[in-house]
Amino acid sequence: MSTASPTKTAAMINGIAIDDTFAEAFGMSGTGLIITADTPKWAMICATVMTGFGTSVIGCGAECGIDRVMAPSETPDGRPGVRVLMFGFSPDSLGPQLKNRVGQCVLTSPGSACFNGLESPKKLALSAGPRFFGDGWQTAKKLGKKRYWRVPVMDGEFIIEDKAGLTTDAVGGGNLLIIGRDRAGLLETTEAAVDAIAKVPDVITPFPGGIVRSGSKVGSKYKGAMASTNDAFCPVLRGAVKSELGQDTIAVLEIVIDGLTSAAVAQSMRVGLKAVVDVGAAKGVTRVSAGNYGGKLGAHHYHLKDLLP
Amino acid sequence: MSGLTFKLRDGLAGRFDLSGLVPHKLAGLDARDIAQIVVGKTRDHVNAGDLFEITGEAGDTITFIGTTAACDGLGSDLASGTIIVEGNAGAYAGRSMKSGRLDIRGSAGDFLAAGLTGGLVTVKGSAGDFVGAVLTGAKNGMAGGTVVVEGNIGERAGDRMRRGTIITRGKTGASAGSRMLGGTIWAEGGLGAAPGPLLRRGTLIAPSVERMTDTFADCGLHDLGIAAIMSNYFTETLGPLAPKPLPKLVRRYAGDLATAGKGEILIIA
Repeated sequence: MSTASPTKTAAMINGIAIDDTFAEAFGMSGTGLIITADTPKWAMICATVMTGFGTSVIGCGAECGIDRVMAPSETPDGRPGVRVLMFGFSPDSLGPQLKNRVGQCVLTSPGSACFNGLESPKKLALSAGPRFFGDGWQTAKKLGKKRYWRVPVMDGEFIIEDKAGLTTDAVGGGNLLIIGRDRAGLLETTEAAVDAIAKVPDVITPFPGGIVRSGSKVGSKYKGAMASTNDAFCPVLRGAVKSELGQDTIAVLEIVIDGLTSAAVAQSMRVGLKAVVDVGAAKGVTRVSAGNYGGKLGAHHYHLKDLLP
Repeated sequence: MSGLTFKLRDGLAGRFDLSGLVPHKLAGLDARDIAQIVVGKTRDHVNAGDLFEITGEAGDTITFIGTTAACDGLGSDLASGTIIVEGNAGAYAGRSMKSGRLDIRGSAGDFLAAGLTGGLVTVKGSAGDFVGAVLTGAKNGMAGGTVVVEGNIGERAGDRMRRGTIITRGKTGASAGSRMLGGTIWAEGGLGAAPGPLLRRGTLIAPSVERMTDTFADCGLHDLGIAAIMSNYFTETLGPLAPKPLPKLVRRYAGDLATAGKGEILIIA
């Protein structure tokens, strides 16, 4: 069987072809929150729910995910915490998402508190909305330059910081396309790459488990659909369309990466790529590529040949 | 650390206004100019050179040695730098101070840190009435910054205080937090009688209250999230000057219910 594809190969590492192509990513607005609770379990439950349905700005309004678990010594109230990141097209689009997600998923979670998780001169209103749940009984405590709101709730007080940091230099859409001839092995390899990326600070992989199986192209034959299946990377359409896949390809999985900085996205792609070439060949991975739109839509281009391990 | 030292001479009676002797007002002045600053409050026109033996050069630190309770206005409007008072301070020490540090190694008089908006004021001894209070003609009292008094403080501390923190290792006098609009008064030795008259918002913390008024409602024991945040903040910003961390459970009294009633007194014993 052949691994040939229309895309030129930049390198062969451990028997895996690295395409001479690039990931095309977009400038985004981003913010970070620290969610704490009485136990690590409840901090994680709250963070998981708050970042749910946050895979893509196209249909979810924001791209959300968990950056890392935080020790009690790192959090403002000395309790177990989780840092979550949120990304949107603009500060104006992030604001309502922040209000709704915090109001419905953090305020409601037992023992939770919500703090700014991104130091930045630019700010987003964090408490606007959730604090008014206090029906006039909410009070503020300003300590130094930070204002904390105390909202009476049935298990005590919900503490929420007044503002969250905002960056407009965030990047959304860094990506790796991992291509193989064994679907189970491909999934294991991609999981290993997601685990490696999770160790990089300031990034999230917002799709389920960090992995996308439904990569998309812009537009559709159907009116009203902004995106549709990336037919060039669908193995079952090979032969029927202008395919990007070789004859031995059974499946393709994608990792999409959003980061607070371009450097963090690049580093994530670098460690993800390394994880794939370290373990992938034995699991049927044949090739790594990246998704782009010809370089005309996104301001950030991450060439795989610049990220080789 | 460059700076001036003002050592009090013997023999001059009366009260003195030292509000002009702060680093930003002395910057660029030579020794002769500084000595001619009028500090007397009477027709005698006592100047700084009459009152003090002045050494050093203008810089970011000023040290006063041997001052008494007749020396008013020390550190007024301080915008940066440090003022060390090796002695007592009179009224209005740290008045309307914006930033920097005022370190009083003796005791302070009334209206310590009145109208304070920033910086740190420390007093080794005790302080008089109206610590951090509103100044005549002003809308609000202290609106930021931190005051730490090792001894007791007098009556009506934090009158119309809006933000910031007053900490005393000792007790407050009567009516601490009167008409308070926000901020924190933390009395490690206990609160005097009738704290928080017309308290609208803000927090008073103490192990005991000499006499609680009927317009504060006992809300019972609570595990308040803000307690750990406050304790952590003071430990980080004040180091050894910080009060002991709050316990897990505190008894909360809500009031003053004679007014808005969104303030609180937290009893930590």
